[in-house]
Formats: sequence, C-alpha cells, structure tokens
Amino acid sequence: MVISIIAITSFAVQHLVGDIPVELFSFPLNILIIALWLAALVWLYRARHTSRVTQSLLSMRATILALLLMIALGILFGLQHSPKTSAWPTATALLFILSHLSLITLRGLRDGRGKLRIRFILNHLGLILALGAGFWGAADREELRVVVERDMPTNIAYTKTGNRTILDYEIAMTDFAIEYFDTGTPSSFEASVVVDNKPTTLRVNHPYNRTWTETIYLISYDTEQPAKARYCIVEVVREPWRWLTVAGILMLIMGAILMFIQGKKRG
Amino acid sequence: MVLGWNIFPFVAALAALLSAVAAVCAALREERGRRLAIASAIGGIAILAAFVAMLWLTLERPPLRTMGETRLWYSLFLLLAGLVTYLRWRYRWIMGFSTLLATVFMIVNIAKPELHDHTLMPALQSVWFVPHVSIYMFSYALLGCATLLSLYGLWRPSAELDEAIGRVMSSGIAFFTIGMLSGALWAKEAWGTYWNLDPKEAWAAATWGLYLLALHLAPHRRRLYYAIVITAFLALQMCWWGVNYLPNAARSEHTYTMQK
Repeated sequence: MVISIIAITSFAVQHLVGDIPVELFSFPLNILIIALWLAALVWLYRARHTSRVTQSLLSMRATILALLLMIALGILFGLQHSPKTSAWPTATALLFILSHLSLITLRGLRDGRGKLRIRFILNHLGLILALGAGFWGAADREELRVVVERDMPTNIAYTKTGNRTILDYEIAMTDFAIEYFDTGTPSSFEASVVVDNKPTTLRVNHPYNRTWTETIYLISYDTEQPAKARYCIVEVVREPWRWLTVAGILMLIMGAILMFIQGKKRG
Repeated sequence: MVLGWNIFPFVAALAALLSAVAAVCAALREERGRRLAIASAIGGIAILAAFVAMLWLTLERPPLRTMGETRLWYSLFLLLAGLVTYLRWRYRWIMGFSTLLATVFMIVNIAKPELHDHTLMPALQSVWFVPHVSIYMFSYALLGCATLLSLYGLWRPSAELDEAIGRVMSSGIAFFTIGMLSGALWAKEAWGTYWNLDPKEAWAAATWGLYLLALHLAPHRRRLYYAIVITAFLALQMCWWGVNYLPNAARSEHTYTMQK
C-alpha cells in the first residue's frame, strides 16, 4: 500500500516537474541530505522491535522488491535508446534499494555469537558504497571537453550542456603519433601534451591523473590529417566521490572471492 | 582464414569424444571409472586449451574479440567447470551436461568460425581485456551448468540437486561479479565512467539481479527457484550476444565483431 503510494507519487512528480535538477543536489546539499537520510535510517533501525514500517523494510519481501526493482531497471535501460538516470521514479527506486541495503547491513553486522560477519559486510556495504557514491555523487561529477591545439596552450573548456568554462591551468599538445594495422585501421595513437607545465602522453586506456579526483582522457583527434594532427580533443573528468566507488568495488570483489572459496553459505 | 583453423573440426571431435568418455565413466559409480573419467576429462580440456593457445600465438592477440572466439573459450571453460564441479561435489551427471553443451558450441564454431585478422582496436589493448572476458566466460560456463541442473530439476526435483545448483551457481555468481566489476574499473580507465548504462552493462545488471534473487531465495518453492535460475540464464544470453541484435545496439561500446 505505502509502496504503491510512493511509486505513484514519484511518477506524478516526474510528470509534473520533469527530470530531477541534478546540479541542485551538488555539494554541500547532498552531504546534508545524506546526514538526514542516515539519521532517519538509524532512527528507523532503533525502532525495529516496535515499528511495523521498519519490520517491513527489513523483511525478505523488501529484499525481493529491491532485487526486482534492480532487475526492472536493468531491463528498462537495456532496451532504451537513450536511458536517463535523472528521472524521479528511477531515483526513488535507487533510494529504496539503498535504504533497504543499509538497514539490512546494520542488522546483519554480527552473527548470533557477536562475531563480525566479514563476507556479509563486504558484499552489502560494498554495494551500498559503489551504488551510493554514484547516486549521491552524481551532482558533483564534472565532464569538460577541451580542444587542444598543437603548441597553443588553452584553458577553455566546455561542459556537457555546451557552457564555456575556464580551467585553472593550461593544456597544450606538443606532438601526435598514430600507427596502423595492414588493414588501415588505427592500431594505436597517442598525444603528447603539457598539462599545467607537466609533460605527459595520453592514449586510450592510459589517461592522466592530474589530481586524486581529476583525470584527463584522450577522446578524439584531427581525423582529417591524423599523421600531422593539428589538434586533439580531451575530456577532463572531475569526480570527488571516485574513491568511495573504488572502495565499494574492491569490497565487492573481495566478497565475491570469499563466496567462491567458502561456497554457498550464509554468513 | 587463420592458419591452423582447418584442424579445429578434428580438435573439437577429439575433445568431445574424450569428454563424452569422461561423462560416461563418471556416471558409473565405480572407483575405477572415476579415475578414468578424470584422466579423460583432463585430456579433452588440454587438447582444447592447446588449440586456444595456438590461436593466440598465430593471431598475435588474445583470441577474445569475436563472438566465435568467445564461444571457443566458453566450450573450454564449460568442460573445466564440469570437471571442477565433479571433483569438488562428486555430482555424477554434470560432465554429461557440460560435454553436451560444449559440443553444441564447438559445432556452432565449425559452422560459423567468425575468426578475424590480428587487428585489435586500441580500446581493447588493455591489461583488463583478458581477465575481464575470460572471467566472464568462466562464470557463464558455471552458470550454464547450474541451468542444466535446474532444467533437470524441473523434471526430477530433489534436495541433493538443490545443493549442487546452489554451489555451482554461487561460484558462477562470484565470477560474474568479479567480471562485471573488473569491467567497471576498466571502463573508468578507458571512458572515465564506471558505469555507462551501455545496453550490455544494463543487461549485466539485470542478470546479476536475477541471480541474486535466486541466491537470496532458499529453495523452499523448488520449481520457482529452478525457474528463476533458468530465467537468469536467459537474461545472461541477452547480455552475452542478444544485445547485438537489439535496436539500441548501435550506441553500445560492447558489440562483438561479427562476420557473416
């Protein structure tokens, strides 16, 4: 009952106001909302012996619902031409999945004898971090495109929506090299660039980490005359939440390894 | 045509024959049969593995790029997964199933090799390429075994079977998870995002969700449990090759090189 009301409301909001204005939820508002969300979860968890809401949120039926939502989202995105994650129903589903996971994790931290359930924590907390960092950190993520001309340092970048912005450092291309297979398709290409007065090379699969949270990728080049490329296009990705995602992914990988070693057992 | 490919029908026939011998010996309960089954199964796997190694050397790149090449690994890993399942849990029928499925895939490869030249686009030239695809292929093989056991279960359900399905499937899910997450880490290196909502990634998420659903449901309602395991494997087929035929495949960074 409650679930259907929430679901219908999320669709109604989507219909009335359109997509979520993601940029509104950037730092520090997202941190504030997380604090309130976590406080609400702890409060709900403490009331688990009396509150029927908490009991249903912790039930097996809620787990099944969370998994069905995940499956439905996967199939939906898997069929769409241009999926978007900023719709209210999608965000509501993800928030439900994250809330359920968090409550389940709180309850399952220790086994009956008070021992920490390492594998359970790795798998569930790992998923919360990997999903949650993408969800809450979406608004803080920046993707900027820069056209870098040969020997012409620039600091002009464009956001995804086409807005011009200025970087606080300069990038210039000093050289570009490309090689081909016998068939004529490129086998490798790389741009020698100077980023903030530091020389480096950019290749596919080999980006340049300028800081802990900012990475520069080579995404395109002068296709008219590749051998004497006049410019290349790079993408500057700023992702302050990056290491939370990595931590979540590594925890899940460790959890999966334990699952293989120990086989199917709970705990 | 790649040098050495013309011997594949012989390699496939020999591998299938040795695996079939192993499957029959394993199905018999005797101890002597067990030793012969293991030896024969190892022989079949070794022959196929040697062929993959030869292909790798002649192509001068990992043979993991085309659909046909992934089928080759799948056959190899199916036989390996069947043997491992047999050794670890002594499930007598599993090698029969895995041999049957591996043989089907090898026959498909004889009819439709899809082998290409040695070109490998720059995006695939990464240390992540081989682990990402081969771990996935191994998980597909384990999950294929779990599906075969579930199909058998629809006919003859039993607690012993549930145990075997649970064990094979949880190993399969473990490898699937590692395959998926190694892909996420690779995607960050190559494209700057862990998750792009590429059709293949979305179907992988749906598949993962279905397997987690099976994992969380204790098999109280047996037939429903078997049905979920089978449905999950159908979603896996969408993820593996089905997405290539979807209208939205054009925006995917994941389509295999295919050849008529």
